[in-house]
Amino acid sequence: MTVQIKLDLHFQDADAFYERLLDAHQGLSPAQSALLNARLILVMANQLGNTALLQSCLDAARLTATDQL
Amino acid sequence: MQTTPAAYATAAFTNGYEFTEGSGYQLPEYPFVEPPEIATGTLNRHPIVIVGGGITGLTLACALAQYGVRALLLDEDNTVGVKGASSRGICYAQKTLEIFKRLGIYERIASKGVQWSVGRTFAGSDEVYSFDLRQQATHSLSQQPPFVNIQQFYIEGFLVEKLLEGEAKDRLIDLRWSHRVTAFTQNADVATLSLATPAGPYTLEAEHVIDCTGSRSPFRAWCQAPVTAKKGDDRWCIADVRFKNPPPVERHTWIEAPFNEGRAVWQHLMADGVWRIDYQMPPDADPEVVSREDVVRERLNAQFGRTLAPDECEIVWVGPYAYRSECVDTLRHGRVFFAGDSAHVVSPFGARGGNSGVQDADNLAWKLAAVCQGRAAAPLLDSYHAERHEAAQHNVLVTNRTARFLRPADGAERLFRTAAIGLAKHHAFARQLVNTGRMSTPNCYTRSAACVATSVGSGQATQNTAFAWADGSPGTLSDLLAWAQGRLLLLVFDQIRPAVLAQLQALTLLCDVRGVQVLATDHQASAVEHIRDPQGHVRATCQAHGLPISAAWALLRPDGYIAATGEKIDAALVRAVATVLGVQA
Repeated sequence: MTVQIKLDLHFQDADAFYERLLDAHQGLSPAQSALLNARLILVMANQLGNTALLQSCLDAARLTATDQL
Repeated sequence: MQTTPAAYATAAFTNGYEFTEGSGYQLPEYPFVEPPEIATGTLNRHPIVIVGGGITGLTLACALAQYGVRALLLDEDNTVGVKGASSRGICYAQKTLEIFKRLGIYERIASKGVQWSVGRTFAGSDEVYSFDLRQQATHSLSQQPPFVNIQQFYIEGFLVEKLLEGEAKDRLIDLRWSHRVTAFTQNADVATLSLATPAGPYTLEAEHVIDCTGSRSPFRAWCQAPVTAKKGDDRWCIADVRFKNPPPVERHTWIEAPFNEGRAVWQHLMADGVWRIDYQMPPDADPEVVSREDVVRERLNAQFGRTLAPDECEIVWVGPYAYRSECVDTLRHGRVFFAGDSAHVVSPFGARGGNSGVQDADNLAWKLAAVCQGRAAAPLLDSYHAERHEAAQHNVLVTNRTARFLRPADGAERLFRTAAIGLAKHHAFARQLVNTGRMSTPNCYTRSAACVATSVGSGQATQNTAFAWADGSPGTLSDLLAWAQGRLLLLVFDQIRPAVLAQLQALTLLCDVRGVQVLATDHQASAVEHIRDPQGHVRATCQAHGLPISAAWALLRPDGYIAATGEKIDAALVRAVATVLGVQA
């Protein structure tokens, strides 16, 4: 079960978010960065909540088979 | 025929508890009685033979007896539990307790068992979160609590005593202890069972065989039943321990216990002041070593941070486990019905083993009764597979998710677990991601012919709610189901017009349904059989599954599941009854 998700621009300020995301990772080891990302995914996923929406996000993030690496 | 009791006594246990240790429990023993067939040489045919006197087989026997159906129960041992492995299941969920209420043993379970309300979950030396069930609003309408912890053999013993109540000549269940089935065949006419007993072998015939022999069922091979299995490398060792100075009555769960090399540990209380402590072991652990009493004591010393003197804690029972999931692909093979562990095995998370065995038995019992008593068509028995296989698959799914949380693969799986635990210490939402087991809840049936698929709420379980009988005395839905004596129970809500009442009376006679009017208000009752539901709980438990407020009726099965509902008393009701029972309207 999937639903249509926003794949066009929805950020209020994309550049600012991207900068803050990088800032949050500054000074972290690769392991700490991976853990921060994992926590962030869980926090964001809880904001969405909806099962079908989350499935569509997973599908969108997987890209195509050739892009996966 | 020569008696050979010695040869029987040396037979191996079939449940594979070869490394059990501990002082054990005192289990009741039941006498072997030489069956008359051995002396007479007669070949008797029985409508129903239950093989295995564990929690599933005994529940089935009790339920059949309550419906007035005769059955033979064969058990290879002469006691409940498994000798040397007498603990097994410990946690019984609400739906199961409701079934035991109907079977008349709930009060004994509640008074012998224990309930806890405070649970704490730890990771490392930190508490991730805790909860107190007493401070949580309960939406349950049931008269039974969410669960009771009690050793499985107590329940089995209560069921046996229930079956042995009254005069022997009046009993419908023939309990035959120390009977091992050694061979089985079946054809279109009959099933044939070869038996070994201390008094020698004999043979009997059966029309229906219910295999409740557990996870090492010989019937799987005899029926060539395909099994879908998943074997994990997760190893656990269970210790049942009694302390001189017991810890607080709280359930403690360590996802990563510092005293168990960062692996999981469970600690909770059962009856008799015995604590069940489960330790997750390394995948390459030697089951014989980890279950040695001195090794168990080392683990306890590490857990409690000091050396416990031998008299401070008694090791009652120890057993190693390898968790796995297995499900027989078809729960019915001709005359054989697989129930309980012989049908499905899951990891113990959420207590979905014993509880689903009891619910298998409760599901099959009313169908066998209805078919054997000529009230339903034989295909009703096929709905057992449709319903309980769906339930088993769901239980496999849920327990495998917990197993994956508790033994994550290296890499992303472990990373996300660490992330979830870290968040759970700070944010309430993430506690839901910490999966230490999801308590057994009633399964819903979505693909069964014994539920009217087009009907709102069908295939969902009701709860054992309270109401008042016509004379004002308190009653519960399970009393009402028992009153229906294995018939479908038609609840008709609120006022009934006289013309409709006449139709209802005709219907209950025609379709062998028991009907009752459910009055929310103090309106004058129009039906003789009526109950008062001033708090609206009976209606609410039917409506919990989306039934509209305008619903006029709900048709309940003897297992408390909703078969059909409707807004008008019309031909749809008659068709619903015919659909469920598979008979012509």
